[in-house]
Amino acid sequence: MTTPVLKTTPVLEVENLQKLYYSSGGLFSGKRKPVKAVDGVSFSIARGEVLGLVGESGSGKSTVGRTLLRLHEPTAGTIRFDGEDITHASGQRMRDLRREMQIIFQDPFSSLNPRSRIMEIVGEAVDLRGALPKDEREASVIRLLEQVGLSRDHLHRFPHEFSGGQRQRLNIARALAVRPRFVVADEPVAALDVSIQAQVMNLLVDLQRDTGIALLFISHDLGLVEFIADKVMVMYLGRIVEMASARDLYSRPFHPYTRALLSTTPSVDPREARARKRTLLQGEPPSPANPPSGCTFRTRCPFAIAACAAERPAYRQVGEGHYHSCIRDDISGGEPLRAVA
Amino acid sequence: MLRNVTLVFAIGFLAAMVALAVFAPLLPLPDPVKMDVISRMAGPSWAHPFGQDEYGRDIFSRIIHGARASLAVSLTAAALAGAAGVIVGLVGGYFQGWIELATMRPLDVILSFPPMLLALLAVALLGPGALTLTVILSILFIPAYARVTYGEVLVVRNHEYVEAARALGHRPLRILARTILPNVAGPVLVQFSLVVASCIVLESGLSFLGLGVVPPTPSWGLMIRGARAYMHLDPMGIVWPCMALVFTVFSVNRLCDHLRDVFDPKARRVSFSPASAIDEDDGARGREAAAGSATDDMLLDIRNLTTEIAVPRGSIRAVDGVSLKVRRGEAVALVGESGSGKSMTGLAIMKLLPRRISRIARGSIDYVTADRQRHDLATVPLNRFRAYRGKEIGMVFQEPMACLNPVYTIGYQLVEAVTAHARLPKQETWARALKALKQVGIPDPERRLHEYPHQLSGGMRQRVAIAIALCGKPSLLIADEPTTALDVTVQAQILDLLEQIREASRIGLIFITHNLGVVAEIADRVVVMYCGQVVEEGTAEEIFYTPRHPYTRGLLASVPKVEDKTGGNKRLSSIPGAVPSPLALPPGCRFAPRCAHATDLCNAGVPALEPVSDSQAARCVRWRELA
Amino acid sequence: MNYVVRRGATAIATLFAVASLIFLLLHLVPGDPAEILLSSGGIAPSKESVEALRVNLGLDKPLLEQYITYLGNITTGNLGTSFQDGAPIGDEIVKRLPRTLELILAATFISVLVGMPAGVAAALRRGGVIDGLCSSLASFGLSVPVFVTGTLLILLFSQILRLVPAGGYVGFADNPAQHIVYLLLPAVSIAVGLIPVVFRMVRTSILEFLEKEWVRTARAKGLDEPRVLLLHVVRNSLSPVVTVLGLHMGTLLGGTVLVEYVFNWPGLSGMLVQAVEQRDYPAVQGIVLVICLLFVLINLGVDLLYGMLDPRVRYK
Repeated sequence: MTTPVLKTTPVLEVENLQKLYYSSGGLFSGKRKPVKAVDGVSFSIARGEVLGLVGESGSGKSTVGRTLLRLHEPTAGTIRFDGEDITHASGQRMRDLRREMQIIFQDPFSSLNPRSRIMEIVGEAVDLRGALPKDEREASVIRLLEQVGLSRDHLHRFPHEFSGGQRQRLNIARALAVRPRFVVADEPVAALDVSIQAQVMNLLVDLQRDTGIALLFISHDLGLVEFIADKVMVMYLGRIVEMASARDLYSRPFHPYTRALLSTTPSVDPREARARKRTLLQGEPPSPANPPSGCTFRTRCPFAIAACAAERPAYRQVGEGHYHSCIRDDISGGEPLRAVA
Repeated sequence: MLRNVTLVFAIGFLAAMVALAVFAPLLPLPDPVKMDVISRMAGPSWAHPFGQDEYGRDIFSRIIHGARASLAVSLTAAALAGAAGVIVGLVGGYFQGWIELATMRPLDVILSFPPMLLALLAVALLGPGALTLTVILSILFIPAYARVTYGEVLVVRNHEYVEAARALGHRPLRILARTILPNVAGPVLVQFSLVVASCIVLESGLSFLGLGVVPPTPSWGLMIRGARAYMHLDPMGIVWPCMALVFTVFSVNRLCDHLRDVFDPKARRVSFSPASAIDEDDGARGREAAAGSATDDMLLDIRNLTTEIAVPRGSIRAVDGVSLKVRRGEAVALVGESGSGKSMTGLAIMKLLPRRISRIARGSIDYVTADRQRHDLATVPLNRFRAYRGKEIGMVFQEPMACLNPVYTIGYQLVEAVTAHARLPKQETWARALKALKQVGIPDPERRLHEYPHQLSGGMRQRVAIAIALCGKPSLLIADEPTTALDVTVQAQILDLLEQIREASRIGLIFITHNLGVVAEIADRVVVMYCGQVVEEGTAEEIFYTPRHPYTRGLLASVPKVEDKTGGNKRLSSIPGAVPSPLALPPGCRFAPRCAHATDLCNAGVPALEPVSDSQAARCVRWRELA
Repeated sequence: MNYVVRRGATAIATLFAVASLIFLLLHLVPGDPAEILLSSGGIAPSKESVEALRVNLGLDKPLLEQYITYLGNITTGNLGTSFQDGAPIGDEIVKRLPRTLELILAATFISVLVGMPAGVAAALRRGGVIDGLCSSLASFGLSVPVFVTGTLLILLFSQILRLVPAGGYVGFADNPAQHIVYLLLPAVSIAVGLIPVVFRMVRTSILEFLEKEWVRTARAKGLDEPRVLLLHVVRNSLSPVVTVLGLHMGTLLGGTVLVEYVFNWPGLSGMLVQAVEQRDYPAVQGIVLVICLLFVLINLGVDLLYGMLDPRVRYK
């Protein structure tokens, strides 16, 4: 079923999404301080498109994924699925909608119920499409297992009998069982060994292409994102700092953070690795409970000026679909950050 | 062995007790309340196997009927409390916000009463009796279940499979019943047996005080109470009911321990029979010797290192014949996936292998000191090896969260490293600690000295760990995945720091990692490991530009690169299959089952590490054909 | 500091809730409280006596007023007078409280003194003879109810061996040596149930801490093994031990009730049993309130001690 999909109609639109957490103190801990995990994020994903979301730990990238599916409730903003505002959709409506939007988690060990057999884990998801006769249900589960490279022999086993890579395949099978149109993949291969990572990445790419689902691929690994994504967003401390097509972002990055990330990511070429300066950013990301004013990246930015602290920078367009949020036009954007610091 | 005996005893005893108690009215037992004052406190006889009590009643019959009262009250109360508590805990744990508050907070009030007191308070109000007792005990133990369930639900709720169930659109009630309940059933069952034991103890205690079961109903507590006054005349009269009570409680507890083992595989004791326990110094005894002197700038020369670890089903060789050389000032990367034995190699050098279950079985670890003397570390006994740790060889571990002791300040932990090898005045040690912190680029080091690990970020903690490792000015630093838990921008800082240190002090570095990118960044030489063996080694350029072993090639090819994305047909080349279990290794080349180039020859025997060039070697029989 | 204030506030809130529950309990039971208190064995009390008791306890006043009076009384330390002899309950409690406290302290002391070293020894030689022996003894010790221990100790040491008296009390000021002798058996009886708790916790936490990376770091520094064990393993296991002691305070206080009864120890708990037997409700209420106060204070102490032992808690 490789019908050409129109990659322009948005399947999911997000506007100004915000998610605050309150640090859970005791009864008498006084004022509770909100932590801005996601702070005003807007984007859209077209049918059949793969959107990459890159960020370091604590950037809020996982929270974005879970909030989209309303596994966590958004604090502010709107989420539209197929044009329908689902930000405040009722529990019943949301349960129906979740059959169209699925998630694949990072941890291959905690994401499968240890007390259920594979038949149940995947079968439960198949049931949500509507009741099937027993043999058809089983056939459907087997089809899904084969689709992800497992076989009918695995049907009656428990999750602990599988390796990390196989478990991740099962996660994918479960997510696909309801025939979703949009899937969030939250660091799906981060816990796997390199050689297994490649197997699962290939599977994801194949399935995405065959089914035409829209995919939000969340990862800290720029290489993986570049491999799979059509469009990429870079997130830092709850905000998107740059968004562009994959080709653009990797060849003409603008935001200092994107450029730093690109040039600190180790490459598997020793000569190239040694020819460049490595440490481009000092320190570590500040706590999201107490973010810097203005541009949140300014405390680590080699180009920061006084104006960066003044107000939240607006997005600037530098190409088709290419936006970034740095106020300095005078720095040589458009290439990876080399030895500038 | 003993554990099995006690378990069989416990199950047998409980089964017998329950059966006797249930069928007591049908059994040909003497009437437990019929007095016979003439033969009071008579010893055992055929008619009265345990003798007669202070009123001449049959003790054996009273014990059986006492079990009826005790078990009926305890089991009923434990079941009622369980039903209520589990529901409260499930609801309180799954729903957050006010529901959680409304269900869990009131329980805290019950918990702020010592259980015995709440029971006494209620008895004071309602008067004693079995019914009162059951009601009180049921209420009393609701929090015990609710808390356990609540705690388990909080854990389970955060598991991604519960989120996955929500993502699939299942209803909360279904998720609670189908996804969460089965996973908390184990701990709840354990709790049930705990509560039954507590109920038996409380019931007997209250009856003993005369505030529980009302006479003439037989009860163990009442029997002990009655016999107490006469224990100088008839010691056995008091011992029988005590034994019945203690054995019952013991059996329930033993069953509870067993349930815990069954339901919590983590707590299951992996015990090794003494025969399989390994004496770490076994391979070393009596062979300690300086292995001669070295001429070049060799620092570490490992030959044929093999370690053994005892596992429940035998023993595995996590490191199997590894040879490795490190020169002064050289950075050697040890690369491999999980199960490759790379970390074990590092731990073996430091004699930090898991104690009593693992040992160095074969091989030598020659370490060359500054005066060019070779010492075989494998033969240095543990008590003498302490002089090498920190002073000759420093080590940094993966988890910056766990590598520092949370209860001591940074300064204390640094000072410890200084004083381990040098007796210095206090001021001098702190000055050195401060210097070490400065050396690893920690801002505001004076203040950091007095802070605790949890007050530092991950990157800072890893810097402290490096500072600690460098305190004794070692010549060799082993870094076991030191940047794996860090973000790329922080990883780059740590790599730079290691590079600086290496340049400044010509320290030798063994860098253990699974990340090929990091290897390309810092390694002079690379050793690739697979299933406990070195499969290829060479200079960084050789490994990255002209890899010879199919595994090395496969690994390099799996790393996504720009050129993989060709048109609509994007693929990463991947290695099929998975790493074999260390208990079922292939007979020949360990990579053969996953290798695209494998032939019958590969399975014939373990291939040797063949030299490819002066500095490169590969463990592949076909490397020439494939080159 | 913030931590201390926070824990203190929680303790006060708990006390308030406990006091309220004790008050409410009398009114939660279906039926007329005065009648319930006077009825025994199914015999209905006379109307006059019920009415008299109602006035005596202030039960004729509106519930809210009763509640406020009750709270006012207990905050000023007025716990009412006994049904039996009309004596102020507070005075008797003040006299007996230290004796119960002494029992608890002595039992805790013995438990830590025996349980900690046994736990350390068992963990270090896990699976060995000491471990097997101690673990078996621990599961057995946990299974013996405290009054059984007490009774059997009396049977053995005072009836058969005739080494110590079967029970009683001598003031420390009157005869210190004799005081200790009388204290010994009751304290040991309680400790028999508490030692296994300490032992198991120490054993488990030491086994857990031995696997921690900071222990490897400490070894990698070149510290000698005794120092690694003492400073980086045993020291860390103090916090869980304190926690588990706190968790078992409830059982411990319940244990004193039985032990004081068995050994005729004239403490608070013995007084409680007597009051319950005589259905002297004001006395029961007062004693339970005081023991709960003790319980909450001990838990507060445990929390503060925990904060001292673990900097992560302190700075949260």
